Amino acid sequence: MSQETTHAHHEHPDVVGSRNRLGVILIIVADVAMALSILFVYFYLKGQNVNNMWLPTATEEVPATVPVSSMGAFYIAIISAFGMLLNGYALKGAKAKNQSQLTLGAMIAFAMSVIGLVYQIQQMNSAPFTMRMGAYASCYYLIAGLNALHLALTAFISLGNWNRARLGLYKTDHWHVAIIQVWWIWMTVSAALGAFALSFT
Amino acid sequence: MSQTQTQDKAPWWKRKDVKETATLWVILSVLIGGLAGEVIARSMGAPASETMENTIRMMKIFTWVSAPVAGLVGAIALKSLMQKRHYGDTPPAESDHEIANSPKASAVWIVTSGLLCLFALVFGMIVMQEDAKSLQAPNAIHVNVTGQQWLWNFDYPDNAGVRSHDLYLPVDRPVIFNVSAKDVKHSFWIVQMGVKVDANPGYITQTAVTPNKIGVFDVRCAELCGLLHAYMQSQVHVVSQADYDAWIKSQGGRA
Amino acid sequence: MTTTMDRTASAGHSAKSPLIEKLNVFTAFGLGIILAVVFYVLAAKLIPEDTDAMLIHTKHDQIILLAMIGWFIGFMVGIGALIGPFRWLLGKDLSHDENMFYAGKDLGTKRYFRYTTDHKVVGIQYLVTTMIIFGVGGILAMLIRTNLGNPEGGWIHPQAYNAIVGIHGIIMIVGTIIMITGPFGNFVMPIMIGARDMAFPRLNALSFWLIVAAIPPILSSFFLGGIMTGWTAYEPLASESPAGMDGYIMFICIFAISTMVAGANITATVVRMRARGMTWNRTPIFIYGVVASVALALPAFPVFFLSQIMSAFDRAMGTTFYNPAGGGSGWLYENLFWLMGHPEVYVILLPAIGALMEMAPVFTRRPLFSFNVAVMGIAGICGLSALVWAHHMYMSGWAPLLNGPFMLTTELISIPTGMLFLVLVGTLWRGRLWLTVPMASIYALLWNFMIGGITGIYLSDVPADGALHGTMFVTAHFHYTLMGAGLTGAVASLSYWFPKMTGRMLDRRLSWVSFWMVQIGFNVAFIGMFLVGLAGQPRRVESYNAMFNRGNMVTTAGAYVIMTGMLILLFAVVDSWRNGIKASDNPWFAKTLEWSVPTPVPLENFATLPVVTTDAYGYGKAKS
Repeated sequence: MSQETTHAHHEHPDVVGSRNRLGVILIIVADVAMALSILFVYFYLKGQNVNNMWLPTATEEVPATVPVSSMGAFYIAIISAFGMLLNGYALKGAKAKNQSQLTLGAMIAFAMSVIGLVYQIQQMNSAPFTMRMGAYASCYYLIAGLNALHLALTAFISLGNWNRARLGLYKTDHWHVAIIQVWWIWMTVSAALGAFALSFT
Repeated sequence: MSQTQTQDKAPWWKRKDVKETATLWVILSVLIGGLAGEVIARSMGAPASETMENTIRMMKIFTWVSAPVAGLVGAIALKSLMQKRHYGDTPPAESDHEIANSPKASAVWIVTSGLLCLFALVFGMIVMQEDAKSLQAPNAIHVNVTGQQWLWNFDYPDNAGVRSHDLYLPVDRPVIFNVSAKDVKHSFWIVQMGVKVDANPGYITQTAVTPNKIGVFDVRCAELCGLLHAYMQSQVHVVSQADYDAWIKSQGGRA
Repeated sequence: MTTTMDRTASAGHSAKSPLIEKLNVFTAFGLGIILAVVFYVLAAKLIPEDTDAMLIHTKHDQIILLAMIGWFIGFMVGIGALIGPFRWLLGKDLSHDENMFYAGKDLGTKRYFRYTTDHKVVGIQYLVTTMIIFGVGGILAMLIRTNLGNPEGGWIHPQAYNAIVGIHGIIMIVGTIIMITGPFGNFVMPIMIGARDMAFPRLNALSFWLIVAAIPPILSSFFLGGIMTGWTAYEPLASESPAGMDGYIMFICIFAISTMVAGANITATVVRMRARGMTWNRTPIFIYGVVASVALALPAFPVFFLSQIMSAFDRAMGTTFYNPAGGGSGWLYENLFWLMGHPEVYVILLPAIGALMEMAPVFTRRPLFSFNVAVMGIAGICGLSALVWAHHMYMSGWAPLLNGPFMLTTELISIPTGMLFLVLVGTLWRGRLWLTVPMASIYALLWNFMIGGITGIYLSDVPADGALHGTMFVTAHFHYTLMGAGLTGAVASLSYWFPKMTGRMLDRRLSWVSFWMVQIGFNVAFIGMFLVGLAGQPRRVESYNAMFNRGNMVTTAGAYVIMTGMLILLFAVVDSWRNGIKASDNPWFAKTLEWSVPTPVPLENFATLPVVTTDAYGYGKAKS
């Protein structure tokens, strides 16, 4: 079936890069399935409105659940979009061998992820209901929780990215930054999807 | 299978092994269809509603429809097994022929299985429609079924206040069950009538049936519902209309 | 798998040895247990007591879940899973020597007990783990069957019985999911496509150790009151189950991550790392089976993960995703569960059938019949399996109007399944049959999967499902597909690839004895189960009406025959592994690439990478 060829131990960075890119995209596929399921949960429970408890009305002990504006969630998406743009700026710098542009973009992208994370946690803390108060409240925390998880991951990744850019590890190849860009795009899209869902109460 | 690879110039369907396989196919199909169909019908017991009768008949027909498929696979496999066997640590000589493909055979196979599928679907749809007729019957009795851990409650909304743990139904009259649950999911199942629907907390689901035999039949829970799920059983007493009216009266309802 | 060790025990021989050389399975278990205890104690102290005003009491579940999370974190840190990511973060990528150490270079048997990245080591680790999982699941199955030997049930308490049924179910499902893609997908697949290792060796080790981390939580659930829900863990029953349910939740969450990681890894390997010249037409069919399986699992398991996360929140945080009193819905759970649950069935089946299709040409000495049809069949099953989930919910009443469409998609799936049958019988036709256990397994698959498939046609039909849903008929049906077809394929794979993996032949006589005992016992057991199911015995009951007694006795007797056959197989595997007949590099005279490398397979498999010029099925005398 086969013949043998010469040795090829050291692979070209582009080969390694494209393989890693595919791997990350596949993992994102799994995450997309989860994010879409969360949207399904939201709209299914909203549509069913079992026992009229999607948004419970006031009882003697518990006030009615008032949905929050989806603007907060859209702000998260906008922050993510900024992060994505800055990482793209860093990627351009890496391609043009512009070390300072690369480091600056990566640093501010990292800052964006931290800002987004802090803002998301603050939103969760200041919501006018707890997660025990009906199906809407549960779903709100689910979407917010997914955002927070994504942002925490993004913070880890973009911190590493900044650090590696700073250390000059991207001088010969820049596929790490390109792959992180794929993740930023998905981060932005998923935040926007969550915000979109929350705009239907 | 559509090409001859050996020297004989006879068309493929006249070759000895093909003929033998065809004979085997017929025998196996009849055996499978007859045997499996009979076993299914006997195991399912005497039906107590038209729904169950339909189901048993349909399963028999499905068995006969799938029997030729199973028979063909079995015939080819058996014929191959009977021909050239080899034991030992080294492989046999390479096979005489190397047909790696046969678009014709594949096409026939795929089209046939598609047709069988279509048949099963259409047939199933028709039976489904027929079974659903009871749901629209104007003279139907309503029974509200509530599952709870681990018993069934039957309420008769036409006779407010009548509640029982055993189900009483008049024969030959459609019944509509409105099924719900108090705590967790159960499944309301009248075994000999072939109807089933889950009892979901927070929802009301419906199923309907027309019992056509007088007798005592089984209600079982068909969805694992915790500790004593196995014991969540009850009985259906299908009685004549007069006996039913008497029973309703004895429970405090107006007949 | 013995290699000469010229530099034994490089780990921990001096105080200066770096961190990665110190971590192994013992540090992992140690740190895992320590963190679990710490989390438990802290949670018990710090979490406020439940008040009477709270409708749902959550403290106990919070403590248990936190302790399990502590175990998980501790285990993964202790095994060294986080070293790679943090080295990346710090910008100190692993050097070539460190990567070689990770691959298990010169570590001898120690490499089986650490975070080793060599795909062959991972394959062996998976094989042993799968066998342990089947052992546990098998013991539970025997407990179930013994309890069902008489109608009164009797000697097992209903709560323990329900826990046994549920844990038998879920642990066997997990075992069957990994039984082929784990051992053979990892060991054989990269060599088969002519690659030096997987695309992401560290993720490969991660996917394996995640499974090890997942097992203690599910086993601990026996001591936490068990689960009372069966393997499906339907809500809201799961919310009122004792804390054993938390073990189930944790198990599924960790396992889903493992599946995702493995899925991404295997898919990327096959897509990007096939040898030069190995076009999709020349890629062996087993590879298709494995990739289809993991590619199907990739989007399916996150849904399961989410459903369990929501269960955990309902139990521990008082949310109301599934609690109808707070606007939740049990149907939501069922949808999420079966969105994963049906593809999962094919996740199990496709690699098994792929493996047997791979063996068919070898043991008939003729080409695989209609390679294209085989690929179409696998692709068709993949595509359709995502559209059939609600046939598990015909009787739930969630959407009666959708029963028709789901009946359509479900019955359509018999077309691609039929294609796989065509490929197998087409290959057998006029071949020269080399009667070995793998060959006999092909026959067993045809027989069992035919029964499993046809009974599936009854179940796919809504009116028939009205009589059969929730009965033993369903249980027998899916055992025919998952065990009769799936496990048969896995055992065949074991005896087929055993020579390459261990360097020795699997004892022929014992494996034949085991084959016949398992197959006969299996058919006796589950045909008995079909009959009681048709007669109306519900699933998952610990006692039943006396009328079902005979069928259950038959099933129990059959189960004991299966058990004996499996124990013989176990003995054969252990015995042959240690002192079986030495195998040549290519004992089956097969043409796929994994037989072209020496046994034991060297690190990085190929000294020089192969170039492929034909497909692997060039058997047969004349060339057309």
